[in-house]
Amino acid sequence: MPPKKLPSLHGVKMPTIWPTKSSEKSIGLLLKKLKQKEATKSRANLAEDEGLDWLKPRALIKPDDQEEVSEADLEEEVGRVLCTVNPQWVPDEVAYHYGRAMFVAKPKPTYGKAYPLYIYQGTAIRKDSDEAKAQIAAGYGMVGFDDAGPKRAKVKKSAADEEEEEEPEAEPAAAAEEAKPEEDAVVEEEKPTEVEVPAEPTEVGVEGDETVAAEGGEEAEPEQKEEPVDDGSDEVLDIKPRVKKLANQFNFCERAALTYNFPRRSVDTQTVPPPRANYGATALQCIIFDFYQEDYAKKLKEKEEEKPKRLRKKAAKHAKSAQQIHDEQLAQRIREAWAILERLVNQNIYDDIAQDYRYWDDPSDEFREGMGSLLPLWKFQFDPMRTHAVCDIQWNPHYQDLFAVAYGSLDFTNQQKEGCLCMYSIKNPAYPEYAVITESPIICLDVYHEIPYLVCVGRYDGNVCVYNAQLTLESSYQYKSDSVKDKHSNIVWEVRWGARLIDGEASFFSISGDGRVVQWAVMPGELQATTIITLSSNVPPIPGPDGTMITINSCGSCICFHPEKADIFLVGTEDGMVHTCSLKYNKNYVRSVQGHHMPVYRIHYNHYNNSIYASCSGDWRVKIWEDGRDEPLFMFELGSPVGDVKWAPYSSTVFAACTADGKVYVYDLNVNKYRPICIQAVVSKKTKKLTRLDFNTRLPVIVCGDTKGTCHVLKLSPNLRVMCKPPKKAQGVDQRTLQIMKLDKLLSLVRDPPFTPGVVDEKFEED
Amino acid sequence: MANEAEETVRKLSTHKGVAGVIVVNGEGIPIKTTLDNHVSVQYAGLMTALVDKAKAVVRDLDPSNDLTFLRIRSKKSEVMVAPDKEFILIVVQNPVE
Repeated sequence: MPPKKLPSLHGVKMPTIWPTKSSEKSIGLLLKKLKQKEATKSRANLAEDEGLDWLKPRALIKPDDQEEVSEADLEEEVGRVLCTVNPQWVPDEVAYHYGRAMFVAKPKPTYGKAYPLYIYQGTAIRKDSDEAKAQIAAGYGMVGFDDAGPKRAKVKKSAADEEEEEEPEAEPAAAAEEAKPEEDAVVEEEKPTEVEVPAEPTEVGVEGDETVAAEGGEEAEPEQKEEPVDDGSDEVLDIKPRVKKLANQFNFCERAALTYNFPRRSVDTQTVPPPRANYGATALQCIIFDFYQEDYAKKLKEKEEEKPKRLRKKAAKHAKSAQQIHDEQLAQRIREAWAILERLVNQNIYDDIAQDYRYWDDPSDEFREGMGSLLPLWKFQFDPMRTHAVCDIQWNPHYQDLFAVAYGSLDFTNQQKEGCLCMYSIKNPAYPEYAVITESPIICLDVYHEIPYLVCVGRYDGNVCVYNAQLTLESSYQYKSDSVKDKHSNIVWEVRWGARLIDGEASFFSISGDGRVVQWAVMPGELQATTIITLSSNVPPIPGPDGTMITINSCGSCICFHPEKADIFLVGTEDGMVHTCSLKYNKNYVRSVQGHHMPVYRIHYNHYNNSIYASCSGDWRVKIWEDGRDEPLFMFELGSPVGDVKWAPYSSTVFAACTADGKVYVYDLNVNKYRPICIQAVVSKKTKKLTRLDFNTRLPVIVCGDTKGTCHVLKLSPNLRVMCKPPKKAQGVDQRTLQIMKLDKLLSLVRDPPFTPGVVDEKFEED
Repeated sequence: MANEAEETVRKLSTHKGVAGVIVVNGEGIPIKTTLDNHVSVQYAGLMTALVDKAKAVVRDLDPSNDLTFLRIRSKKSEVMVAPDKEFILIVVQNPVE
């Protein structure tokens, strides 16, 4: 039965087929066909079968009593015939009925042994039916209704495909019916005409239906089947070209193909192994960090190079070669390393002194009311300058541990050939930080406040120089007055930096033994001299060797500027006069006082009161003056030429003086108006004299120099640096105001009308 | 520069208690010394290794940090070392007294 018709059968029951002798022949044919089919089994199946061989070894087990059959018998084909009639069926079977006591015919269905067990109404409809026709007319049924989908439908379009599909289907048809040679012929035909193909199935369908109807008395209505048969044969002709076969469980073909498997082969080659080396390194965090830094620097450099060329050129002009920079940096690093090493060495050597400096305060001060002491700390010496005298000494205004020393000679009968300018740091007592030997002894120096590495010096030969401590020693000085016309013709006794000129140049003043005060303008590359005043003396002109009258100038020996009024300055002379001068008058003095009887060595203004100043002289005396008074407020006799006097920077009433007999005197007028609060012999008076001293502005130390080139740093004991306690009424007043008040109070006592300048002339028992 | 270095070495070696000054170059070879030759070589070799180690310690704790100086106090003397990439300065000082 062609599959096309099958789906349209509702509740179809295959007719029971029983083998009959008559159909033996056809069965043989069928078997042959089956064998053929087996032969054409797909390769995949074959492979599978072979693959399963290992499961069961092919040992044939024969029962012992198996009958021996000859080969010919085995070969013989024994046919079995299926027939539609059940031979065992007895059409009229009877059974004895005991109830009725008679034989009765067994109630049996009239149609033989077929029992409907299950009837299912499918959704498939017969294509010949009206419903199907209506659907086909509406365009349904073009595509199969099975799961294959559109793709499969497309494949089916070609005529060749149709044939192929028909082939397997033909077999069940053949099996179902009595095989017809006709049918086979049709199947094998290359291109069956469209008319024939549909025609035959319909025939078969009709036959099938008839057999079914004849054999079983099927439940399905025969009308339903019969009607479409007639219509179908007509209608199919029209519809066929359009309609594709409806797909169903029989209408498909499963095909599989196995491609040829290439045999595997492996080919190996061995190359020469690449050269190997062992490498080991430790990846420390710092190394990684360094690499990142390097990388970052490189990137920065690359960025720099991306800049426009014009800019780069500019930069390149100023840039030094990498080697130069490296060398400079290396030199600087070495210098720093040496400096620190030197500090370390010094720290080891002078550790005890440093401890004293920092922590030791004379404990006896607590019991000596109003008396103090000086603790000697470091001694500074520069070997080439052992025979020279310290002619001037000054703390650096900027670096608190640094002081400058001028080495010269005060022994004028046996004058030294050369001098030296040194800078010492208290951190390095062994060697000066800066030392420059000069060809003439240096008598005085002053460190510039604004630029703390600029030092001006006055020399024995009358020259003044400016030294720059930052420059290397080869270019020892920056400026020298050698070639200046108006330079001094005598020892320069004191130099002092002044205010800047109108043009902005630094300037300093010098006073010399030739009786002139000269202002030096520090021009770029040269010094320019301006005589401020010529110190006239009241000595009448004396006749010279050739009869001309020579006016004699008084020799200036020291100079001191007013702290606030920049044009006022005091000049001390070798004949003991103290002149008050002004920059505005170059001939006359503003005031003149016969301050001392011997050369005035130092005049120093009080730090807190601008009208108070102290002077010291070779006549053994220290005097405290007030501007506008002819008589000193205080006068102290120290029993030896006084080389220097300085007011303390921390107190308005404290000053210190050093004498030629090697003692340092410290006075606090607030504590004792008549006696020093400290007398300390610093050097032996037989061999050395003290020449100069200076208070450190921030540390509680003073430095003083002697005639053998040694500088002594002394620490002031607590009693020497007593600060003012603010009165209970005015707690918030700062120290400076208190100091001024303290001095004013003291002055008001001294200025009283019964004032006698005679607190002096007192020789101390201690001497 | 050479003069300056010479001067500095001389200056340092005249300090109180200073037993010797050694300048070691980047390769660990003493290039200037006031000590005996074999002592200098020994110092230079040992200190170079120690400086490397100390530097690694400092750098590893904090990579942006660096070793600047090294002081080794011993019973008999103190060794002060100024390490750098390209040189090492060593000063041996005996305590005063």
